[in-house]
Order: sequence, then structure tokens, then C-alpha cells
Amino acid sequence: MANPMEQFEIKDIAPIAYGQYDLSFTNSALWMALALVSVAIFLFVGTAKPQLVPGRWQAAVEYLYDFVRKMLDDNVGPEGRKFAPLIFSLFIFVLACNMLGMIPWVGSFTPTSHISVTLGLAVLVFVIVCVVGFWKHGLHFFSLFWPKDTFFPLAVFVACIEFLSFLSRPFTLAIRLFANMTAGHVLLKVFGTFVVSLGLFSDLPFILGILPLTVTIALTGLEVLIAVVQAYVFALLASIYLNDAINLH
Amino acid sequence: MPQFDLANVFLPQLFWLSVLFAILYFGVVRLTLPKLGNVMEERENKVSGDIELAEKAKLASDKLNEDYQIGLASARDEARKMLADAKSKAAASVEKKSTNAQKKADESIAAAQVEIEKARTSAMQEIETVAADGASSIVERLTGKAPSTAVVTKATKSVFA
Repeated sequence: MANPMEQFEIKDIAPIAYGQYDLSFTNSALWMALALVSVAIFLFVGTAKPQLVPGRWQAAVEYLYDFVRKMLDDNVGPEGRKFAPLIFSLFIFVLACNMLGMIPWVGSFTPTSHISVTLGLAVLVFVIVCVVGFWKHGLHFFSLFWPKDTFFPLAVFVACIEFLSFLSRPFTLAIRLFANMTAGHVLLKVFGTFVVSLGLFSDLPFILGILPLTVTIALTGLEVLIAVVQAYVFALLASIYLNDAINLH
Repeated sequence: MPQFDLANVFLPQLFWLSVLFAILYFGVVRLTLPKLGNVMEERENKVSGDIELAEKAKLASDKLNEDYQIGLASARDEARKMLADAKSKAAASVEKKSTNAQKKADESIAAAQVEIEKARTSAMQEIETVAADGASSIVERLTGKAPSTAVVTKATKSVFA
């Protein structure tokens, strides 16, 4: 049985090094680039000639844009609108990476199944939240951790917990996406190998492979759903964290 | 798990992620979405403007309809009044004509009665004369002597009276 972890292997396509640092163009970078290209085509075609009455492409882009703007309106308020391009970029990049990884092909790769990538994005969100918070409120930003109208020793205790949970945000954000993607692909791989090994059962050829095949098809549907939901969750949490920085509760 | 082979996977992925995400943000999203935002805003304005226009037009048409109804009602009242006027005028003229006719008829009836009275009187006088003549002839035959006219007239008169 093939190792289900093999699909996450990073392979160099063009080895690049800057001094002692390894900056090789790998299969992960290739699929991120493919995601970028797909998103670019989608957006440039959709906004080539913006019409008052939108065509299909424009309507599709508008739908996603409106979706992100509504999410920001609901979670952040009127000041959230200027972060729409950022949240939109995060959402559509994660979505494109997740969805491209769902192509049922040996060479396909899901960059978001790597904690390096998800942590990179999560740290970006964390840094932006901190910068916005300190820029807008200065040191008053720390009042985010302080519970109002609480017994003092208890407030200190809660503030410590709040601070720790704030610091752990980039990790939870990164691990949630990475773990979902990894688990899904491992599951698909495992049931995929079952199709072959059971189908080769010589007394009853092919028949036994049907069951895991059915499961794999059903799981693929589920994974597509998870790919979309996780992209949404990532963008949603990013906007909720932004709300903390902008409105301090 | 290959994901935790941090020494080999972390740096190259992070580097390319930064490059590609920067291109996505500054080179794609920043260039395309604002255009769409403008169009969406324009559309919102256009739609709300159109709705406002439609509401105004509806108000105007409502007012027009109201005016029309008022005009219709006043025209109907006027027509009703004119009809009533014509009716009363016609009734008055009919009455006048019938009174006139009645009067004329009365007059001619009165004239006819006078005429009849006259005829009757003259007829009576004639009868009196004839009766007097008759009476005087009878008296002449019986007595051989004609009575005086005055006596005969007196006698006949007393009979007819």
C-alpha cells in the first residue's frame, strides 16, 4: 500500500538558492502559482469591461466580492470595507489552492495542506491585526484583553488567558486549515488505495473495489464542501480578528 | 509527515507564498476589485434613482387620476342639474299651455252657453208669439171677436211663466 503521506512530499522543480537559503521553486510553489493564475484570469476577465448590467463573469466576481463585503459589514462594521481587498485575497487564494488540490490527478498538490503556507497566511493576518490595532488605538489596544467591571484578581487571570489566546490565534488559524486539508487528502488516498487492493482480490475481481470507490466519490463531494467552508472560515476569522483590532470588542 | 520537515519545506514555501500573495494582492486584486466596486456603487445609485423616479411618476399619475375623478364627478353633477332644469322647464311650459287651452275652452264654452241662452229666449218668444196667435184665433172662432193683443200677450205670458 502506498504511503498516504507521500502526496504531501515537496519536490524541487527548479532549485534556487540565495546564499545559504533554499528558495527553490517546488511543486507547492507551482500550485500556488496556478492558483494565482486562475484567480487572475477570473478577476481580469470578470472586470475587463465592468457593465451596469453584469455579464456572467462579472456577476460571478461581484457575487464573491459582495459576499466578502457583507461578511466585513456584519463582523467589522463600516470601517471594515477598506479591508475588503485583503480579506478577498485571502479568501480567494485559499479557496483556489483548496479547489485545485481536489483535481483527482496524481500530480495535483494542495499548498494549503502544508502548515508552512497556512502559517504564513495566518501570521500575515496576525501582523496586520496588530499593526491596525496599535496604529488605531496605540497602547490602548491592550485593553482588548481586559475584562470590564470584573473583580480585580479575576480580571488579571482572565487577561492572561485572553492574551495567551490572542497569541495562539495565528497557530489555531493555521492548524485548522492545514489539518482539515491534510486529513481530507489522507482519507481520500486511503480509500483510493482500498479500491485497488480490494479490486485485485483474485477470487472476486473488481466487485469488492466498488464499495471503497463509492466511498471515495462521496468523500470527494465532502472534501469539495470542506475546501469551500475552510476558505470561508479562514476569511471569517480574519475579519473577526480585524474587528477586535478596529473596534476593541 | 513531510509538512513537519521544517528545515526543507518551510523557507522555500514561505518565500514563494510571499511573492505570489504579494502579486495577487497588489497586481490582481488591487487592480480589479475597485473597478467593480465603482460599478456596483453606480448601479446602486441608478437603481435607487430609478425607483425614486418611478415613485414620482406614480404620485403624478395618482394626482392625475384624482383630478380626472373630480372632473368626472363635477361633469356628472352638471349634467344632472341640466337634466333637472330641462325637466322642470318642460313641465312649466306644459302646465302653461294646458292652462291656456283650459282658459280658451272655458271661454268658448261660456260663449256657446250665451249663444244657447239667446237661441232659447228667441225660441221661447217665437213660441209665445205662435201661442198668442193660436189663442187669439181660437178665441175669435169661439166668440166671433178677436181679443186685444195686450190681453192675449198677458194670458200667454202667464201660462209660460
